Amino acid sequence: MTVIPLKQPSTLQQDVIRLEGIVKGFGGAQALAGASLVVRRGTIHGLVGQNGAGKSTLIKLLAGLHQPDGGRIEIEGQAFDRLTPHLAEELGIHFIHQDRLLVPTFTVGEALFLGREPRIAGTPFLDRRLMQRRAAEILNDYFGVRLPNTALIGDLSTAEKQIVQITRALLNQPKVLVFDEPTAALVRREADILFRLIRRLRDEGVTIIYISHYLNEIEQLCDHVTVLRNGQDVASSPISETSAAAIARLMVERDIQDMFPKPVVALGDEILKVEQLSAPGKYEDVSFTLRRGEVLGLTGLLGSGAKELVRTLFGLEKPASGRIDIGGRPAHLSNPTQATGRNVALVPEDRRRHGIALDLSVKENTSLSSLDRFTRFGFLDRKSEQREVDALIARLQVKASGRDALLRTLSGGNQQKVAIAKWLSRHSEVYLLDEPTVGVDIGSKVEIYTLIGELAARGAGVIVLSSDLPELIGITDRILVFFRGRVVREFASSEATADRVLAESTGSPEGQRHVG
Amino acid sequence: MSLTTTKAANAGLHGVVAASLLRYGLILALIVVFAIFSAITPTFLTLTNLQSVLVNNFPLLAIISIAMTFAVASGGIDLSVGTAMDFASFAFVSLVLAGQPVAIAALAGLAAGALVGAFNALLISVIGVSPFLATLGTLFIGRSVQQLLTNGGNPVYLPPNGVPEVFRFLGHGTLAGFPVPLAIAIIIAVATAVMFVHTRFGRITLSIGIQPSVVRYSGIAAPAYIAATFVLVGLIAAVGGLILTATVTVYIPSSGNAFLLNAIGATFIGTTLSPLGRPNVGGTILGVLLLSIVANGLLLTDLNFYWQQVGTGTLIFAVLALSFINRKAGSGA
Repeated sequence: MTVIPLKQPSTLQQDVIRLEGIVKGFGGAQALAGASLVVRRGTIHGLVGQNGAGKSTLIKLLAGLHQPDGGRIEIEGQAFDRLTPHLAEELGIHFIHQDRLLVPTFTVGEALFLGREPRIAGTPFLDRRLMQRRAAEILNDYFGVRLPNTALIGDLSTAEKQIVQITRALLNQPKVLVFDEPTAALVRREADILFRLIRRLRDEGVTIIYISHYLNEIEQLCDHVTVLRNGQDVASSPISETSAAAIARLMVERDIQDMFPKPVVALGDEILKVEQLSAPGKYEDVSFTLRRGEVLGLTGLLGSGAKELVRTLFGLEKPASGRIDIGGRPAHLSNPTQATGRNVALVPEDRRRHGIALDLSVKENTSLSSLDRFTRFGFLDRKSEQREVDALIARLQVKASGRDALLRTLSGGNQQKVAIAKWLSRHSEVYLLDEPTVGVDIGSKVEIYTLIGELAARGAGVIVLSSDLPELIGITDRILVFFRGRVVREFASSEATADRVLAESTGSPEGQRHVG
Repeated sequence: MSLTTTKAANAGLHGVVAASLLRYGLILALIVVFAIFSAITPTFLTLTNLQSVLVNNFPLLAIISIAMTFAVASGGIDLSVGTAMDFASFAFVSLVLAGQPVAIAALAGLAAGALVGAFNALLISVIGVSPFLATLGTLFIGRSVQQLLTNGGNPVYLPPNGVPEVFRFLGHGTLAGFPVPLAIAIIIAVATAVMFVHTRFGRITLSIGIQPSVVRYSGIAAPAYIAATFVLVGLIAAVGGLILTATVTVYIPSSGNAFLLNAIGATFIGTTLSPLGRPNVGGTILGVLLLSIVANGLLLTDLNFYWQQVGTGTLIFAVLALSFINRKAGSGA
């Protein structure tokens, strides 16, 4: 387990990290097949790739959590045949993980200093005042926030937990900070604060490796980007010489115009009609119709009322006034049971809490909302259930080891396919999709877009709520923009642009916007 | 994709061993315990003793543990299974003493148990109290009510000659060669095992226990299912109460509570040592067998009677250790 430095650093190297020709296999699967990553000092280096491209394996090698089967690792000009977690930390490489949860019952102070608590000199006692002061300095200086050291981690928001993680890293004066999907659970405003922080750290000389699914973030934040595909680096270039579209193409070997495969569907009868629906404080006087074969987009900032409207259509919230007709008959939706009874389906944003159960199998998740179909006198007809589930797995190309695999073992994209499959099994007719591609890799995204098109083509009415505007424009027929509880604008998707939709949803449509 | 391959590769042989330990852990544990007691006591491995385990200890605990398994499967627990037993017993004895036919009295007993379950259901599904607190409350209230009804907890005897033959049969008769209590336990076990795996009710109950929010978002009225589950738990426990009364021909206030802790123990042993970590009737039954054998075996050794609880406790620790080993292997650490 000893680590032998092969060469001592001579001068300050221009490249902080050089990983070259890294090979790593797990059992039969080759996760990395000669991947390289060269990161220059003082830059923000983006690392992108689909799920399974090898990003996380590469990062885990850097963290010392995996050992390479072959290739060169050079940190600060010093060559290693492998790293350990301890060594990585000694070299000043620190990681901000979305998934590495902090212990919820720890206080902020305990979480920040865990394992390296400063002591009062010459005593075994913790120097709580020093801990408090150093934490407060960093928190205030970098984030402009005050988090008392005694606050419980469990009581913090996701953004605040991330601040604690970053602060913990900063207390060690890192040379390299690795951010792994840091914005996945952040709202826009919080992400902006994070970006400002990352730029500032770069300007102070910290080297940043930034991993993200969101190509617009990469484009906007990074100086340099490396694209991984199938365990190899397929491109590495300064961001100024590439674009989000080019990166996406490299990631999926697919042209960007194929990203949104929207079929042309002839519209059928009106299937949903919302008339003057109001819920004070949430939305006011909302009216629209949805026809069979139509994909209607909704968008708006947090609190704009769009999400609350979608929840109302699934019986999760009650309107104060107004009227909902489904299939030409009035609908009273005071709980999800009534909504599903009228063939309304919701694919919720919080997939892991509401969409699927991680500890139920693919089969159990898929048939959960349609058990009636497979029940005779209270008994399950397991054969017909299996047949339906197998058919859906094949149709949606769900990648799982079988129908009995727990959802926990599936990737985010495949979990989401199951969250949709359960409504296909029920033959739902009105689909409410709330942020349907959050936390989904690009390959699965395209498959989900294709599926949405198919739903419409088969005569369902689909409502998509999304804050990913290119996606929304790409897959819908019409878009309703919500602002402060009202529908302020309707676009034909073919005429909408992300800029215009964004301007409407922030309440500053053209002509009224101040330049600045 | 890479995540699962990582796990498989890291778990390796260690993982395979741990996984099969878990899959067959309960049966292995039974064999080990069996072997130990056969070796150290001369009387354990005799037909009389094994019969006494299966006839005296096993059936009642099995029935109550099955009831508990339903409550745990729905994501809760029922601390008032003993209360349902007692109320069934009390209703039965009172009606027999009042001169009612045995059939009426037995039906009233079952209804009394179901009523205890319905009271829990009301607290849990309508008012929204957590199952633990709701059934704890029912346990306390039930104990007080019984004391009030029996002048501070005096037993109520069935008249020695007034016990109808049919009822004696329930406690001491045989059915197709099986003692009746054991036969009833087997019937309930098979019926409920089928219910868990092959009915819509069982599937939904298990799903609620695993993730209630998803069940709700699937358009299923979860509270109604939870309510039905607790009524069923009360009903099954009432069957246990009637068998107890038939065996001893007396109603002793709050005597059902003696089964509570073992029923919880058996259910969790069965749950912990199942491959998916789900409550299941088969596991519960093996858990009951394990607890019964350990209790019986310790009784036959020369150890002080009070060591019995230590044995039960050690058993539960051993189960926890086994599942911990497996979880470590499963997480690829």
